[in-house]
Amino acid sequence: MTVKTLLILSLLTLVVACATSERGYLVPSQHPPEAELDLARRPVCTDCHDRRGKIAYEDFNHTPFFSSGHRSVAGRQGTVCNMCHQPSFCNDCHATSVELKPADRRPTETFRGAPHRGDYLTRHKIEGRIDPTSCFRCHGNPKNARTCTPCHS
Amino acid sequence: MTRSRRLTGRCFWLAVCAGLLLGVPLTGAAQEVEVRSDTLFRFFQRDTASAKNVMVAPFYEYLQVDYGRTAGKGLTAHAYAWGRADLGDGDYYDDDATGQILYAYLQYAQPFSNFNLRLGRQQVMTGVINDVVDGLGVAGDLGSYFSYSAVGGLPVAYDTSSGRNGDFLFGGRLAHHWGTRYEIGLSYLNSADDGENQRQRLGADLTFALPGGVTFDGRTVYNLESDGIGEQVYQLRFNLGPVSVRPYYEQYDYRDQFETTSATPNPFRILAGSGEGLRAWGTDLVWGGLADWELGARVRQLNYDVTSDTAAYYALLATWHASGQTQVGGEVGTMQGDATGNDTTLLRLYFYLDGSGQLKKAFLSGDAIYAGYDQPIFGTDSSWSASLGAGRRFLEDNLEVKFNGEYSSDPNYDSDWRGMLALSYRFGL
Repeated sequence: MTVKTLLILSLLTLVVACATSERGYLVPSQHPPEAELDLARRPVCTDCHDRRGKIAYEDFNHTPFFSSGHRSVAGRQGTVCNMCHQPSFCNDCHATSVELKPADRRPTETFRGAPHRGDYLTRHKIEGRIDPTSCFRCHGNPKNARTCTPCHS
Repeated sequence: MTRSRRLTGRCFWLAVCAGLLLGVPLTGAAQEVEVRSDTLFRFFQRDTASAKNVMVAPFYEYLQVDYGRTAGKGLTAHAYAWGRADLGDGDYYDDDATGQILYAYLQYAQPFSNFNLRLGRQQVMTGVINDVVDGLGVAGDLGSYFSYSAVGGLPVAYDTSSGRNGDFLFGGRLAHHWGTRYEIGLSYLNSADDGENQRQRLGADLTFALPGGVTFDGRTVYNLESDGIGEQVYQLRFNLGPVSVRPYYEQYDYRDQFETTSATPNPFRILAGSGEGLRAWGTDLVWGGLADWELGARVRQLNYDVTSDTAAYYALLATWHASGQTQVGGEVGTMQGDATGNDTTLLRLYFYLDGSGQLKKAFLSGDAIYAGYDQPIFGTDSSWSASLGAGRRFLEDNLEVKFNGEYSSDPNYDSDWRGMLALSYRFGL
């Protein structure tokens, strides 16, 4: 029996088990719109929620450094992200074949931690030299590498 | 690309846009249908292989359609795509795709067990998987202590000129958790392009809530193709009074982190062969002691195994918040060390002002970035760029018009002007 077959069987087992198991905490599909909360300033999750309630809300606080470390929580609990952000929001950066860099897609939203702002064409030689692993996460597949290949073919 | 083909492409996208703006409000009577359209007109000048100072004027349409999203359960449909036509007079985009379906899937969700099944093109981010797949994805809980996600199909990244025969991607993540006290996950990914194995990775991720409000989390990724650990990333998060602290450690072994297959972009294939190893550690600090202010500091040290080079990055930032999205902020940083090849100083100042009173539906934004280089690049030892934007919402906030102008001077472009007009339209939200 191949590994592939084993994995398919495991998947089917999981689906069946899912239909018969008891329920855990059900993550709401949508967070109430900010307008309904009547907040005077940009909120962070723990303004209203316990740090560690049914969800570890403190992990999702959008501090100034949140964007550079969000893959840890997004990889574990994407459903929490989806309460406020639709998948299209993630696709501004994460997708196959993104032609516009995030800072060019929404240039007026200067409050976002969009990567590659300003003259990144020059800076990428330096930042890519000291940490190419951060480049690889997005540009490591053939389609997203099209921005690299004109010079790095 | 021939002129007739370009014209056909332009007509197509103009028709899509016109149909969207005029037709949808008439036909989409049910509020279960939501449409978001972002239409962008950008303009700038570039040199191409055949001419200098060519006017490039791309017209982008980003279209998102959702059916049944607000219900949050049952059968729903979701699609998001972009397309581009160059209204300029050059061949700047001749080698690039003119559009892409980013996702298009049917979803069946039931609140019971957070069950979620998707069929179609979808972005999957779970464990070691961060890919776009044409296929089937499923996720949910197994009782109160376990959750799972799995995906199988054709990877969109390998949909190249060679076709999709022999392409596949499958994998998933199984996690055990006890409330928010801890979570341990195991994930697996296997993908191939034209029958050639590309990535086969096994990942372990964990997060623990330790006493004293300390959180420990991280992940280790094992490359099954090269038989080695490619990535280890671990961090602590805790508060010291009003200061949130995040010390971290990261370790990458290039041989196991980057692939060496035919589909791997050249720079990463070369790096994989270098046998280099990178170890990085540092700390992020954020002080929120004042209600409207956030002050931050970042220290990041990088060491390399083979060359024994080092590099370090230090940064300070400050952000002032007011009502709505209003913010004024700045960041200053420096990259130093023999690994940088060129020590760099960075400075960024920005603002975003939400309107109030009669200008409640308007905003004004600006951004300025300066970079200074220790050694000149193409004879220039600095670069700077500045942008100014403004916008206003109309039609009960369903239509937003935005404009942005940007100027930069840097080692690659002596003097570069760019502009963008954007129309964002919402229907059914």
